[in-house]
Amino acid sequence: MTRILRETIANLLIVGFCFVMLIWAIPTYTPPHPGYGASPALVANVAVGIMMVMAGLSLVRLLLARFAGKTLPPAEGQFPEEAQSTGFTQVGRVNLPHLGRFIIPSVLLVVVIEYLGYVPAAFAFLMVIQYFIGSRKWLQMTVLSIILVAVMYVIMRYGFGVPVPGPELFE
Amino acid sequence: MEMILAGLLDSITPASLMFVFAGVAIGVMIGAIPGINGPMAIALFIPITYYMSALTAIGFLVGLNKGAFFGGAISAVLLRTPGTPEAAATSWDGYPLTQQGKGEKALRMALYSSVAGDVISTGVLIAIAAPLAAVALFMGPAEIFALISLALTVIAGIGTNSICRGLIAAGLGLLAGTIGTEPVTALPRLTFDVYQLGGGLSLIPVAIGLLAFSEILIQLERFTGKDSGEHAANVFSAKREDRLLSLKEFFANTRTLLRGSAIGIFVGAMPGLGAPVASFMSYDQAMKRSKHKEEFGKGRLEGIGASESANSAVVGASLIPLFVLGIPGNLAVAMLMGAFMIHGMQPGPLMFKENAQLMYGIYGSLVIASLFLAVIGRFGLRLFCKAVEIPAMMLYPIVIFTCIMGAYLGRSDIFDVGVMLIFGVIGYFMRKFDFSYVAFLIGFILVPEWERALQQVVIISENNPNMFFERPVAMALMALTFFVIGKTFWSNIKAGRDCRAAKAKASAQAKDG
Repeated sequence: MTRILRETIANLLIVGFCFVMLIWAIPTYTPPHPGYGASPALVANVAVGIMMVMAGLSLVRLLLARFAGKTLPPAEGQFPEEAQSTGFTQVGRVNLPHLGRFIIPSVLLVVVIEYLGYVPAAFAFLMVIQYFIGSRKWLQMTVLSIILVAVMYVIMRYGFGVPVPGPELFE
Repeated sequence: MEMILAGLLDSITPASLMFVFAGVAIGVMIGAIPGINGPMAIALFIPITYYMSALTAIGFLVGLNKGAFFGGAISAVLLRTPGTPEAAATSWDGYPLTQQGKGEKALRMALYSSVAGDVISTGVLIAIAAPLAAVALFMGPAEIFALISLALTVIAGIGTNSICRGLIAAGLGLLAGTIGTEPVTALPRLTFDVYQLGGGLSLIPVAIGLLAFSEILIQLERFTGKDSGEHAANVFSAKREDRLLSLKEFFANTRTLLRGSAIGIFVGAMPGLGAPVASFMSYDQAMKRSKHKEEFGKGRLEGIGASESANSAVVGASLIPLFVLGIPGNLAVAMLMGAFMIHGMQPGPLMFKENAQLMYGIYGSLVIASLFLAVIGRFGLRLFCKAVEIPAMMLYPIVIFTCIMGAYLGRSDIFDVGVMLIFGVIGYFMRKFDFSYVAFLIGFILVPEWERALQQVVIISENNPNMFFERPVAMALMALTFFVIGKTFWSNIKAGRDCRAAKAKASAQAKDG
C-alpha cells in the first residue's frame, strides 16, 4: 500500500467519524442549551470541526499529489535514529495479527476476571501473554506469573486496601 | 515568610523524604530500561499517588521524572540505546567512551552534568515563578481562553511532522475531554448512556493506554523474542583513571554546562519544545563552539555534559508555564498537572495564593530531589547499570500487567481497564499514522479549563464576541494563535517546495553527469 493511499484512507475515516459525531452523536447526547452561557455542544462541535477541516485539507493535498502523479517520501521520525527506538514516532505498517495477539487476551481478561476472580484469570492471562511474547520456558513462565500475581495482590490488598477485581479466591 | 518556612518543613518530613528518595531511585532504574521514559513512568505510577498526600505525591512524581532523565543516559552510554529520547545525544560520545573502557567515567560525567543542569534550572524556577504568577493573576477568562488556544496550537506540532495531524490529534483530545458532566447544565454530555462515563474519562487509564500500553505494543512488534544478552558490568575498566572523573575534567566543561543549562531552561519554559530539542540544540552549540570539534562523536566528555545538562535543565524550567499560567509545556508536565488535579488542585497562578504552603513544600522537594539524584547516582551507579540487563522477556509481561492493574487501581473499576485498552489501541494507530498523542493528551487535560474560560467569557459579555477586541492582551494572544497556524502551514508548504526543487536539481545533475 502506498503512503498516499494509506493516508487517504486514514483521513477518510476521520472525516466519516466527524460526520457521525456532528449529525448523530453530538445532537443526541448533548443537553439542550439552558438559555445562558455557550451551548453545551459548542466545544464538542469546535473540536470535531477542527478535525474535519484538517482532515479535509490533508485529503485535498493527497488528491492533488495523486493526480499530479507524485509519490510521498517515506514518513520520517522527528529525532535521530537512536531516539526512534525509545518511542515518539513509529510510523509504519499496521500489524493487525500482532495487535490481536495482545488485545484479545486483555479484553478476555476484563470479561473473565469478573467471573473467575483475580488470581486464576490474571495467572492465565500472564501465561498467555508470555507465550505470545515468545517465551517457551514453562517453568520460568509459571514462576513469573505466580510472583507477579502475588506481588500485585499484596500491594493492592494490603498496601492500598483496594479490593482486587472479581470474586475472592477463598470466599 | 511563615508560609515559606512551613512549606519547607513539610518537605523534610520523613514521609516526604522517603517518597522523594523512592521516586528518584525508581526513576533512575526505569529511565535506564530502554523503551520506558519519564512520562510513561509517571503515567504508570500516578495511580499509587491516589493514596498519598498532595505534597508527597508531587514530590514522588517530580523525583521520578528527574531520576528518569538521568536514567536514560545509562543505557545510552552503555548500550548506545537511549533509555529516553532526550538521551540520544548522550550516546554519541558516551558509547565511544564505553568502548574505550571508560563507561563509568562517562556515566559520572552524565550524572554530574544532569545534577548541575537540574540545580540551576530549579533555582531559576524558584526565583521567577512566583513573581510571574503575581503578574499572571491579572489575566481574566478572555486572556486564559486565548492563552490555552495558543498553547494548544503550539503543542499541536509536538511528536508529528504535520501541523494538520497535530491539530486533528488535539481536536480528538478536546472531544474526549468533553465526555462527562457539562459544567453549566450539570447534565451528562456524550456519555452514550454509559453511567461510568458520567464523571468523564479518567486521566489515569487514558494516559496509561496512550503512553505505556501502546508503546509496549509497538515495541513488541520489533521484539524478535531474543534478548540482546549485553552485559553492562563488562564495560567497566579496572583502571582508576578510566573510572573516576576528576574535578579538573568536570570543571573544564563549566562553560558548556552553563550554556547547556541556559538552553534547557529556555526550551523548557517554552511550551511545545521538550527535552530532546534542548539536548540536540545544546550538543550542536557545544560542538560549534569547541576547539576540538573533530573529537565530538568519538568520546568527548564535553558532548555528554552538553546533552545531559540541557535535558535535565528542562525538568525544572518546564514547571514555569505550569505554575505561572497553568499550561503544561510537555508530556511529563501534563502528567504532573493531572496529578495536581487528582489531588483537587488546579495548577496556575492562583496556587501561589491558595496553596502557598504546598507550593513552597514542592520547591523544597524539588531541591531535595536534586540532592538525592546526586547521592543515589553516585553510590548506586553500578546497581542501576544492572537495570539495562533485565531480560525483555520478563520486562514486557511485567509492564503489561502493571498497565492493566494501574488502570484498575485509580477508581477500583474494571471499566477503566477497558478504557485503557481502547486508548492503547487508539495510541497504537496514532503512532503508526504519525498523529501526535502528546497533542491529544494535552488537549484532553486542558479542555475543562478552556471550556470554563469560554463559558465565563460568554456569560460576562452577555454573548458579545467583541469582548476579545476590548481586551488587548486576549486579542494579541488570539492574533498570535492565528499567526502560529499560518506560519506553520506556510513553513510546511515551503519545506515541500524546497524538497521538490532539491530533488529536481539532483535528478538534473544526475542526467548531466
